Amino acid sequence: MTITWEQVLAFLSGDQTMTITSLLFIVFFAATALIHYALPRVARPYFLLVASYGFFCYDAANRPLVGVLLGATLITWLCGLLIGRTRNRVLRVVALLVAIGFGIGILIYYKYWNLLADSLGGSWLARRDNLLAPLGLSYFTFAALSYTIDVYKHRCRVETNPFHYALFVSFFPTLINGPIERYPQLRPQIQKSRRFSYSRCAGGAFRMLWGYTKKMVIADNLSHYVSVVYSDPTSMSGPNLVAATVLFAVQLYMDFSGCCDIALGAARILGYDLIENFQAPFESRSFGEFWRRWHISMTGWFRDYVYFSLGGSRCAPWRHYLNIIIVFLCSGLWHGADWRYLVWGLACGLISAFGVLTAKPRRALERYNLLYRASWFKTFWQVLYTNVLFCFTLVFFASALYNADPFAIYASMLQGWQGVAGSWHQITSLIFDSGIDGRLPVVLWFGCFVVFAVEHSGQNVAAWVRKQVWPLRWTLYYTAAAAILFFAAFGQSAFIYQQY
Amino acid sequence: MPANSPTPIPTPPVKIHRGAPTAAPAKPRRKKKRPNPVICFLQGLARRLFFGTKTAFKCLLLVPILVFMVAFSYNVDRSGLFQGALAPRRIVDLMLEGYDVTNFEQMDERQVVQLYAQDVPEAPEAIGIGSSRVLQFNRENTGVDSFFNMGVTGADVRDNMTSYYKMVSYGKTPKVLLWSLDPWIFYGSEAAFDSRADADLYNEFLTKVLNVPTDYEEPDKVELWRALADPAYFQGNVDYYVKNHGQATVTDDDGNTIEFNPVQGDPYNQTSTIKRSDGSVLYDIAFRSQNADQIRALAAEACMSFNSVHMEGFEELSQTQIQAFDSFIQYAKSQGTTVILVLSPWHPYLYEYLLTEPDKHKGFFQVENWVRQYAADNNIPLYGSYDPTCIEGLQETDFFDGLHCSGTGIERFFPGVPQALQNLANNTLPDPLAVHPRTSLETAPEEGSDTEENTAETAESDAETSTVQEG
Repeated sequence: MTITWEQVLAFLSGDQTMTITSLLFIVFFAATALIHYALPRVARPYFLLVASYGFFCYDAANRPLVGVLLGATLITWLCGLLIGRTRNRVLRVVALLVAIGFGIGILIYYKYWNLLADSLGGSWLARRDNLLAPLGLSYFTFAALSYTIDVYKHRCRVETNPFHYALFVSFFPTLINGPIERYPQLRPQIQKSRRFSYSRCAGGAFRMLWGYTKKMVIADNLSHYVSVVYSDPTSMSGPNLVAATVLFAVQLYMDFSGCCDIALGAARILGYDLIENFQAPFESRSFGEFWRRWHISMTGWFRDYVYFSLGGSRCAPWRHYLNIIIVFLCSGLWHGADWRYLVWGLACGLISAFGVLTAKPRRALERYNLLYRASWFKTFWQVLYTNVLFCFTLVFFASALYNADPFAIYASMLQGWQGVAGSWHQITSLIFDSGIDGRLPVVLWFGCFVVFAVEHSGQNVAAWVRKQVWPLRWTLYYTAAAAILFFAAFGQSAFIYQQY
Repeated sequence: MPANSPTPIPTPPVKIHRGAPTAAPAKPRRKKKRPNPVICFLQGLARRLFFGTKTAFKCLLLVPILVFMVAFSYNVDRSGLFQGALAPRRIVDLMLEGYDVTNFEQMDERQVVQLYAQDVPEAPEAIGIGSSRVLQFNRENTGVDSFFNMGVTGADVRDNMTSYYKMVSYGKTPKVLLWSLDPWIFYGSEAAFDSRADADLYNEFLTKVLNVPTDYEEPDKVELWRALADPAYFQGNVDYYVKNHGQATVTDDDGNTIEFNPVQGDPYNQTSTIKRSDGSVLYDIAFRSQNADQIRALAAEACMSFNSVHMEGFEELSQTQIQAFDSFIQYAKSQGTTVILVLSPWHPYLYEYLLTEPDKHKGFFQVENWVRQYAADNNIPLYGSYDPTCIEGLQETDFFDGLHCSGTGIERFFPGVPQALQNLANNTLPDPLAVHPRTSLETAPEEGSDTEENTAETAESDAETSTVQEG
């Protein structure tokens, strides 16, 4: 029997989409890496640019939108060139405004049009149904804008090679879920491609494997239960709503950080180091610290380009608090054109501002708290309330995702409690009914424990695994691969953060 | 950038002050020797080859996981994509372990036969093909220990040929093919075909083996490959395996119990029909223990429905079917298989009845003579006859009903495969043309003609009675 290329392609592209967890992506990535290292170092960025555009255009729905990516790249690069080359202040400001206007313009057009139309009552703007946004719109727009602003603020030299810059904007490992890169970080790596390093590649490959395990084994299985509860929250009891909210926080972390692990691992194999997007956020001891450890690239972007621009903390206290709230409102809006994201951002902003406002009195009161003399209790308590606060705000986020009424969920959370044993029974029976049965609950508990233990204190997994002796290393490789094979939930490959 | 980021932060250059420059003139800088581009290229190539090989080797260490996944999915195969449906597979597994299997009536015999061809570790020395009329051939009366009966109920020409073709295509060509020829083999009408037969497989056989153009198309294997490489299918197989491994009762893909189990106790004392491990069928004890009158009553019932068994409108032999038959015989010979043809007799009562209305069974009465001539021309062993009077000593109790001759009946005309092969080797085969089956009452042999006439009359009157009763 002869195997034709058509059959191989049909085999690989069964569902016609190249999601990051698909076999097609793995084959595409392996081929890209192979050709990348076979080429002379000077040619590699150009090849990666072609591969990135190939990745973007693979999905037929994205092909007509390639102009958006191309336009964002070209306009921000030209504006950056103008800003960097001229000393005329007015011209520099105009170029900056053009770049920002274009970036925000495409964001509004593709992402917030319907929200605006609804807000304006439909008399000014008509709703546009079936409006499809380009892949990774929020990520590449923010990356491109950061470059122009950095050039304007002399934090970054102007890039004269448009292809190098285009690769920065469209680099395919970051296109789906970020992290939102900065050009000064990536520029030296693009201009001088790294030599092949086996150790780097092995570390990157394990990072990818680690990400796949977090995403496919833990996040996707947890989503069974969360989606059951949040799809019909009004008929759910309080214990289930609380448990689903807590598990949603874990699911969101595993999903998003898993995808970032895949992106970072893939980039590492190709010789690029990207920004770490998470640093053990659930170990944070305050709400502010939590946001310095969660989605670092996004919060860093808003901090550098919005918060500091508004004056940051070097202003009157009320302005400081307002700046914090504005930044979180922007962050909420970035996640989607939905009032629930906006309220989520507002809630986070208010809590953060309140945290800053009460920081001093709380520190003063701490010395009178006898329990705080036991440092372990202090840490435990602070970590606990930080995570409770985060989960509390996350109801808005989850409601936006599952199109539920957050206020009804908050109201239902207090109902249906039947003591410890009864409530526990309610939760476990629904968990089993949702499909998390057999050996899966144990696997999920153990999986979460291992992930949190290994990533304790923001440890770099790829670097850590390379330090281990080979029998342990290979045991880990096989364990992770076997966990995916036996327990991953296949067929639900979309990432939560892919839609932002 | 976080402190533990793997990207090294470049340290700023430190200017070292060495005091005032000396007055001595600077030495002219030595021009850096430009490396030989060929050496550079070779170095790069060697480097790439080395690291490529190293990486490929390490990747290969993970291949066992994929191999395990594919092998497990292929072997457990809960959806029957590669190994056939679960129920037939259970039957074949039991038969290969030497068990007789219960619940014959519920079996998909065609799938069982095809799966047997796939799963049997070694080619049987002899196989039998045909309809239910061949199913009484077994290891005892054929005299072959590794005999397997591939007959299926209601088999048409497609079933017969594809059963053998399956064995050949799996590289398990038997040495001997025992073919119990049913008359409808030579009938070209749609009525001769059984709806249960695998038409696609027959078309494959015609196209690939006999080079007869059909609408056969090579099936697309992509879906199968995808299932093999699909981790979700692997997980389903793991669940199924964990659930059913070591259990007395086995369930199918939907969780329903598969009711095919090893026969407990004496196989000859079962109250339901069973499939023996050699593929033959052992009817239930009540059916096997009927007396002559009961058997005759069943034969009388079969008289009126005779043509409905694939022979409605059978007026003459089809030239297409004759060609197909001949091509198949030549194909079997080319595979090194010795073909033994068998004509299993019909119950005397039934045959006598058929003789009373030869015009309604023209095609049927042409078959035996044509087969005898063909066997004589091609030196093919031929045993038995449709006409029960042509078989010496055949009793009415050698039948189960009008159509099915029992094991004792078979022993009256079939000497066994080893003897047949010996006769063939010694050129002492019985002359096929020496037997003259009756094709009408006029051509009936003289001796005992009174008796036969009486029988025919009785049959006619019985048939009328039954017609009246049916009316």
